[in-house]
Amino acid sequence: MTKVEYWVKIPFGPIHPGLEEPEKFILTLDGERIVDVDVKLGYNLRGIQWIALRRNYVQIMYLAERMCGICSFSHNHTYTRAVEEAGEIEVPERAEYIRVIIGELERIHSHLLNLGVLAHDIGYDTLLHLTWLAREKVMDTLEAVAGNRVNYSMVTIGGVRRDIDEKKRRIILDMIKYYKEVFPQIEDAFLHDPTIEARFRDTAVISKRVALEQGAVGPTGRGSGIRDDARWSERLGVYPDLGIKPVMPQDITGERPRGDVFDRMAVRIGELWQSLELIENALDAMPDGKIKTFPRDNILVAKLKLLVDGEGIGRYEAPRGELIHYVRGKKGSDKPLRWKPREPTFPNLFSVAEGVKGDQVADFVVAVASIDPCLSCTDRVAVIQNGKRRILTEKDLLKESIRKTREINPDIKGDPTPIGASCSR
Amino acid sequence: MNMDVIGEIVYPIAGLLGLYGFVSLVSLLWEGIDRKLVARMQRRVGPPLIQPFYDFLKLLSKETIIPNTANYMFRLAPIMALATAIALLAYTPMGFTPVLASKGDVIVFIYLLALISFFKIVGAISSGNPYAKIGAAREATIMVSREPAMMLAIFAIMWRLGKLGVPKPFSMGIFYIHNIWEIGTPMSFVGAIILLYVFCVWLASEIEVGFFNIPDAEEEIAEGLLVEYSGRYLALLKLTKALKAYIAASLVVAIFFPWGIAGYLNLTGISADIANLLFHTLKVFALLFVVESVFRAVTGRLKITQAVDFLWKNVFLASLVGSLLIAMEVIM
Repeated sequence: MTKVEYWVKIPFGPIHPGLEEPEKFILTLDGERIVDVDVKLGYNLRGIQWIALRRNYVQIMYLAERMCGICSFSHNHTYTRAVEEAGEIEVPERAEYIRVIIGELERIHSHLLNLGVLAHDIGYDTLLHLTWLAREKVMDTLEAVAGNRVNYSMVTIGGVRRDIDEKKRRIILDMIKYYKEVFPQIEDAFLHDPTIEARFRDTAVISKRVALEQGAVGPTGRGSGIRDDARWSERLGVYPDLGIKPVMPQDITGERPRGDVFDRMAVRIGELWQSLELIENALDAMPDGKIKTFPRDNILVAKLKLLVDGEGIGRYEAPRGELIHYVRGKKGSDKPLRWKPREPTFPNLFSVAEGVKGDQVADFVVAVASIDPCLSCTDRVAVIQNGKRRILTEKDLLKESIRKTREINPDIKGDPTPIGASCSR
Repeated sequence: MNMDVIGEIVYPIAGLLGLYGFVSLVSLLWEGIDRKLVARMQRRVGPPLIQPFYDFLKLLSKETIIPNTANYMFRLAPIMALATAIALLAYTPMGFTPVLASKGDVIVFIYLLALISFFKIVGAISSGNPYAKIGAAREATIMVSREPAMMLAIFAIMWRLGKLGVPKPFSMGIFYIHNIWEIGTPMSFVGAIILLYVFCVWLASEIEVGFFNIPDAEEEIAEGLLVEYSGRYLALLKLTKALKAYIAASLVVAIFFPWGIAGYLNLTGISADIANLLFHTLKVFALLFVVESVFRAVTGRLKITQAVDFLWKNVFLASLVGSLLIAMEVIM
């Protein structure tokens, strides 16, 4: 008699309380055991690259910043680096230090957010609320320094927009003092709690081989034992002077990396400390001088039209992993011919989909949260139907959604056509 | 003859209805207190104390959506679950001998308590939703793991108390005649402490908080058993859940902390029962504060395999040891 296996496929998402953003996974289950994971991308598609084709270099900075609310600085910064490389633009040294400070502040807030989400996904809401309470401090600091809690608009091509003066410097030092008291508590809660250990240890193990095959980056890759950090391996900006080195799980836990959720979390906790240290060093070492190459934006647009010829690649270690922007421009045009970002979530998502096989349903949401997915960054235009490429505009999407609504419920009343002129691009 | 009808039918029914009204109010009130307390522990402001009442009334007025795939059990199950909980009140010790206490009614109590979970499972698997089915499978798994420890302990305690001499052995009224601390030997005292631990874990798994919030895991399977319920049926299930928490906690309070205050206040008759009921409610709140509020504030949820392991390897063993210690000097 052969063994009969009752496998069942269930959809996980696009809308699910465990996922922060719409994304669909088809899980093949054998009881509670996950046999296979099928990743379906594209539920958070906003056609950003298509919008960018109609904007000039400076306008794209704002667009890049709004790809994601959490790593808004990273996208802007990486795009700026790509354009700077294409145009061979020198950045003042003080601007590089300010970039480091804002980037590390963003990393602190992003990692605290992810730690809270991890705790929430195992139902440990107290940790979620306390971690996010601690996160308020860095958000307030960012608001004081840049004027906004998210979308700081600090970076511009060839420098930064705002200086860090004595007052802002004091605010940042205050924050560092606050976190030196709070981080030990957070570290203690996450690294030594029995529930967290029971849930995160040996869950969603991404072996080093799988991580290399799928190209895992950032805390996901480092958690699996890949010693890589774009700030370190690329010798990015002034980072080498500030003493950057990749944080590995063995530095935090004292054991060799296993590539599970716990290791990825430990890497994030280590990076919180590292970020504080980098900010402190940067504040100390920051030289005086000007903060941008081109004093005004209209000069910048005119200069870029002449300077950018050819292609440039920007690389930066975003909180989620290595972020790459590719820009190709032509002399005489103020628009790039091509702008293509590649987000760390994309390879990480597939490596974790591989890693979670064999675990339980309960582990899945923890596994997805452990790579800190940023799906609004990941989803972009790619509609290929019957081998034909098609770009969907807002109008098409609206038409499709009306069609789908009618399909689900034919008796629906009311006129679906939008009132007034909608955004006509 | 006429007096008998009043004494045996009218009074118990009136008492049961009164209890149902009272317990519904206080159990929903407890939910509000619990939410507020946990919110304060998490440095939040939290909802107002009577938020569960608002929720309940609002759910009653909302549209009830029945999935295409559901069959009639989907609609019947919440009603049956609530009916079971109300029936259970007649056998629940709440500061005085239960309304329908009789010889051997502990078995009815255990059966009815399990029946509530059973109806929830039936309703969930009738909804046709895969998440509800996962939730139902988890609920069934955890149910068969948590009940044996409790049943072993409660039978051992009742049997031991019966040896002290009671009119109706194995009745829920037994705890108000003798209690577990009266056995008196040092061994039985240690056993009672161990059994208190067993019952606290059982209570936490019965009301599904902290470690055991597995069948209703919101982030994993979208509230599992409740995923397809909405409107009136969800309101009924929420009320059932609140009642069940009160009833299960009542059992633990009756076994370990049965003392009333009526004796100190020189009350008799119905006023004594009311005073004891109010005092009992305070004790239930205190117990639930430890087992529900604190427990869910300081832990997360386990995986189902880990929870089953914990319930068998830790709690059931503790129950075995505690029961042996309690029964020891009678056996020897």
